[in-house]
Amino acid sequence: MNTIAAMGKIIRDTLYEPVFKRAWPIWIGVLAFAVTNILMASFARGLGVFPQMSMWGASILNGIGIDVDAPFKPYQVTPVHLDVHSMINFGILLGVLGAALIAREFKLRTDNWRGYVQGFLGGVLMGWGTVLTPPCNVGGFGTAVMALSLSGFLMAVGMIPGAYIGAKLLQWQSTRAIGMIDFKDDPDRIGDRKLKPSRRPFLGLFVFLLIFVAVIVYSVYDMSNFAVLLLFGVVFGIIFQRSRLCFAAGFRDIFAARDTKLLRWILVAEMVGMIGFSILKFNGYLDSNHFVFPTGINSIAGGFIFGIGMVIAGGCGSGILWRSAEGYVRHWFAVIGGMLAAGSWVLLYGAKVGEGWLYGDPVFLPDVYGWPGALVLGFGILIAFYIILVLVEVKKKNA
Amino acid sequence: MHKPVSCKLEDGSYCIDLRGWMCPYPKYMLDPIFDKLPKGGGKVTLLVDCPSASTDVPDVARKKGYTVKDVSQVNDGEWQVIIEY
Repeated sequence: MNTIAAMGKIIRDTLYEPVFKRAWPIWIGVLAFAVTNILMASFARGLGVFPQMSMWGASILNGIGIDVDAPFKPYQVTPVHLDVHSMINFGILLGVLGAALIAREFKLRTDNWRGYVQGFLGGVLMGWGTVLTPPCNVGGFGTAVMALSLSGFLMAVGMIPGAYIGAKLLQWQSTRAIGMIDFKDDPDRIGDRKLKPSRRPFLGLFVFLLIFVAVIVYSVYDMSNFAVLLLFGVVFGIIFQRSRLCFAAGFRDIFAARDTKLLRWILVAEMVGMIGFSILKFNGYLDSNHFVFPTGINSIAGGFIFGIGMVIAGGCGSGILWRSAEGYVRHWFAVIGGMLAAGSWVLLYGAKVGEGWLYGDPVFLPDVYGWPGALVLGFGILIAFYIILVLVEVKKKNA
Repeated sequence: MHKPVSCKLEDGSYCIDLRGWMCPYPKYMLDPIFDKLPKGGGKVTLLVDCPSASTDVPDVARKKGYTVKDVSQVNDGEWQVIIEY
């Protein structure tokens, strides 16, 4: 019995506590994100979540009798359980739900109608930003920069002022809400503040059991690529939930709070990812066009709209998805808004993403500057951006 | 986005319930909160239900020069942060 108790203690102290109870340091989160993204790209594709959600939106519109094509060409309207790309999103949802339950961080977080409207509108702005840029923050900036697509750098140019505007709105709302308090409420309204034992961690283990069953089912039906992408999604979900890696927060707080630590770590992840994606593309393991998107004013304008939307909704494309699984009801509205706005794009614009007057041509940097030139340029921009961020922070300390 | 519940727990000890306010609201609320707290010093208990707030609210408070006395989980997905001001 003593041996079992001692083993339990070791598992609790060295596995449960650091992995599932304490938040991961952000540098572990971003490096795990970069490495997992490289691994998933070498298996099938890089990470992006919004094109799938756009397809879901188009499916819903078709379901209520509005005939519309999904906006992204490679993502045709398909039943979700037979769509390989959607597996990543389901994996993220399940991974986050399981990890949040085990960590006792899941809670159904309701809001009032104003919060839901704001979430929905943020989702709509992100939906339109996604089809314009394209696609979302993690895909259009995070993975596109790793993949040496010029569009990724331009999206950031638009996203910085967009996120700043969103942050100013949130700061105004914060000041207004605190302006209303008077410390005269009844202390009984606060309720009990003693942590009680909970069975939720076991529910979390049950979620991981369900994931395991789904993986087995897809494998039995000879759809192992579905099973693998589901598992990659689960890994991304655990990384997002435990390290609280939030691309929206990275851009939001540069000027609004002059806090650049998160974005600086994201830039380090971009550099690691750029090395990995370059190796895969240089050797031909990955198509050179992979995650290279239409580039032009559309990238900057899309980034700007997306930037406002992600901040007022409370997360970027992957952010609203994974926080939905943590129990944030506002983010459910954001996901619905984003799906419907992006899903109705073909109806509004008359053509698919990348077609027509609105979009520039894709620019893959090595096609223009050769591999050495593209890598010098890619790393140069990231390093210059990093130095500017350090400067922003120094200015705050001197202010 | 309801009005936060705020109360006096005892002399020089106040509590503000920010549960339901997602991140980054709690972090952005710190400056207005320290302006609003009754003068003379004391401690304030902030209740938050956003996992990130359990780390970034104490971080921002420390950066502003306040002492964080306690950060502890009080319920599933809920934390209290006690700050001396």
